[in-house]
Amino acid sequence: MLFHTWTFAVFFLITYSVYLALRRTSYWLPWLLIASYVFYGWWNPLYLLLILYSTLLDYFAVILIERSAHRKLWLIVSLSNNLVLLGFFKYAGFLTNQANALLSLAGTAYRIAPPDILLPVGISFFTFQSMGYVIDCYRGDTDRERSFVRFAAFVSLFPQLVAGPIERSRNLLSQLRRLPPLSQDDVTDGLSLVVAGLFKKVAIANYLALYVDPIYAAPDRYNGAALAMATFAFAWQIYCDFSGYTDMARGVARMMGLRLMLNFDHPYLATGLGDFWSRWHISLSTWFRDYLYIPLGGNRSSASATYRNLFLTMLISGLWHGASWTFVAWGALHGLAYVMTRGVERSTWYRHRIPTIVKRLAVFSFVCFTWIFFRANSMSDAWLIIDKIVDSPWGDPAFPLLALALVGSLWTYELVCESPAKGLLARPAFRVASVVCMILYICTAPGSGDVPFIYFQF
Amino acid sequence: MPVNPATAPRPDVHAHEAGIRIDFGRSVVRLTGREWFAVGLIVFICFAWIPDLWERYEPLDISLVYRVPYSQSEDYWTYRRLLKQIVEADRIPVIGDSFVWGEYVPADKTFSSFLNAETASERFTNVGLNGAHPLALAGLVRNYAGNVKNRPVILHCNLLWMSSPERDLQSSGDVTFNHPRLLPQFVPHIAAYKAPLSQRLSIVFDRNLRFFDLVTHVRTCFFDGRDLQSWSVANPYANPLARINRHPLDDSTEAHHDPIPWTKQGIELQDLPWIDLDSSLQWRGWRDAAERLRSKGNRVLAVIGPFNEHLLVESSRLRYQAAKQKVEAWLRSEGIRYVAPALLPSDEYGDASHPLSAGYARLAKSIRADRAFQEWFNSD
Repeated sequence: MLFHTWTFAVFFLITYSVYLALRRTSYWLPWLLIASYVFYGWWNPLYLLLILYSTLLDYFAVILIERSAHRKLWLIVSLSNNLVLLGFFKYAGFLTNQANALLSLAGTAYRIAPPDILLPVGISFFTFQSMGYVIDCYRGDTDRERSFVRFAAFVSLFPQLVAGPIERSRNLLSQLRRLPPLSQDDVTDGLSLVVAGLFKKVAIANYLALYVDPIYAAPDRYNGAALAMATFAFAWQIYCDFSGYTDMARGVARMMGLRLMLNFDHPYLATGLGDFWSRWHISLSTWFRDYLYIPLGGNRSSASATYRNLFLTMLISGLWHGASWTFVAWGALHGLAYVMTRGVERSTWYRHRIPTIVKRLAVFSFVCFTWIFFRANSMSDAWLIIDKIVDSPWGDPAFPLLALALVGSLWTYELVCESPAKGLLARPAFRVASVVCMILYICTAPGSGDVPFIYFQF
Repeated sequence: MPVNPATAPRPDVHAHEAGIRIDFGRSVVRLTGREWFAVGLIVFICFAWIPDLWERYEPLDISLVYRVPYSQSEDYWTYRRLLKQIVEADRIPVIGDSFVWGEYVPADKTFSSFLNAETASERFTNVGLNGAHPLALAGLVRNYAGNVKNRPVILHCNLLWMSSPERDLQSSGDVTFNHPRLLPQFVPHIAAYKAPLSQRLSIVFDRNLRFFDLVTHVRTCFFDGRDLQSWSVANPYANPLARINRHPLDDSTEAHHDPIPWTKQGIELQDLPWIDLDSSLQWRGWRDAAERLRSKGNRVLAVIGPFNEHLLVESSRLRYQAAKQKVEAWLRSEGIRYVAPALLPSDEYGDASHPLSAGYARLAKSIRADRAFQEWFNSD
């Protein structure tokens, strides 16, 4: 059930109406849980067994952490269970392929049969959310949730279940502990977020996919300019796809009085890689910071240890995205570049002497370069694309001007948002006209295909 | 320690303490309640007025030989306008599939043209659509013929659609068929129709708003049947506004197929199974179309076939005749006037159900001579 389909619209209309009716009773929370399970089971009812198992295990693990003398043991049991689940469903195929490659190198004829496993949608998101809660409880950073229904609703809350934001118990679970206050502003803010997200997804991301997909499917058939433009387009496609989803998730939650965390904050206006990661997929970046980077030692010891920790965090972040060497390379590139530029980014010279536009373009160009690895179907495709962009003659990229205008408008809008001229955007006439234009464009220009969100595969 | 929900602090306090940003975000256009009201009003006005403005901008000249251009077969915006103008001009719509449209004949040699010639009138108008099987016809009548009231109407019944489980849309295999947007989306269950729920809901919503019919019309007429985004990927530097003009391409005058008799096309005799009408979805659709037209006070004249029986093996021909008798029996029981013209000569058919121009001429003559037709025509 995708946010930008009528199925979801009907689902939400029913869920929301009942939710509003139940707000005066104690059934609002069980209703949210039921709705969330219906939402998740819509993809495949078997997924419900998995999320129920994961939720039950973490719920009881935290009870045992609180009551048992072997607190660490139960923490390890919980984390291992989550990581094994993730590993089994997400990485089994990848590991089998690597093992078979090694067997082939060793000259043996034996091959391990690749597992025929259906990757449950959003498994990386809800397992991370649940793991975060268990770690927080172990550290004493959050209170144990006594109600199973509330905890299950926290793990499975439908707006953010399948692609985040990866919520923290201190934010979302706290909100579920009492009836979330709901004002008219929450409803109008929620609507604003939903329309903005819908526009990003349907009008921009799906549009750019029409250009990007055929080129990345057969990069050998296209010239360097087309490959460069496809990479540029993919940068905006994935941003609009993912941040569009997040906006819609936050909007839907907001209409129910729940405030999900900010996940994107103009990432393509970042002036350094550190800045980029504080603006891109914020819920995942901060998750890795709090539960991996800091436990590894963070920046508390030597510079080399800090750089090692940074690199490892980025590498694992890459692997989180998918079981493929291309994602590992993507994470490693970001890790290496972050390590290499961290010092420069913090210097006064870089901060004050280099024009902001230069810094932004440099970061954007590097991020685009890494997207090649993220989007390519294989490492050999990624190398081919880079080779053709750099070496082969450039021809007509045949990039639609309308798409360029849309991307240009969004980029300009974000630039103005962060400039002293942002007051221009606050004028009611401009805001009303923008939303009307977005709605009319959504109703007329895009096709009707239900293109899934890119991040669902993670 | 477990927390008492009643005394728990507000969420934003927790979020702030944990360094979690839950603010609105900078990049989203944020509207107040009043501004949303204004947006709703403007969008409503656009949805209500743009179709009317477009009708004034793009003329539709319904000449006597007009028929919906073949390339606009799924452009229900034009179909609705056609019916509206027919009603305003006090003409008689001849509703049906490509039999009425005239698959093998030019626009001036169709069934309705010959009826005009035979009756020396200028009233019969071709409202045929390519591929409009009876379930689609019912959808057309339900959704687009709302203004056809209290008038004479000819409704053609092409039994070809009941000749096999595939044509009757009962087969659950991979069956391709036209006009899925006109089908009943939920009830009755149509085994051959496998659209996902979201698509069905979208169709139900779209076909109730003229604005979306206009969007389809513009795509069909000016953007090669594609949405603007797909079209612009194929035409990256073209200006989409320059494509739009007041006179869309009209490919309706020429025949869609060469007028060659079926006997010279290498078509062999066929053993069509024919569906029992009691279980036929298409027959149910046709009855629905007829009943809906009648419920609005229209005086319906049904024309059955004539199907090309020359093309059937004997056993199939007998099954066809039994089905045809059942159709006639139902029409009699419902008090609907009908004409069941005699079989045309073999070389006047282009295929199983489409006559060539000589066939249409003969058909119109025989219908003109039919008493049921005369009573119906003279009662107007």
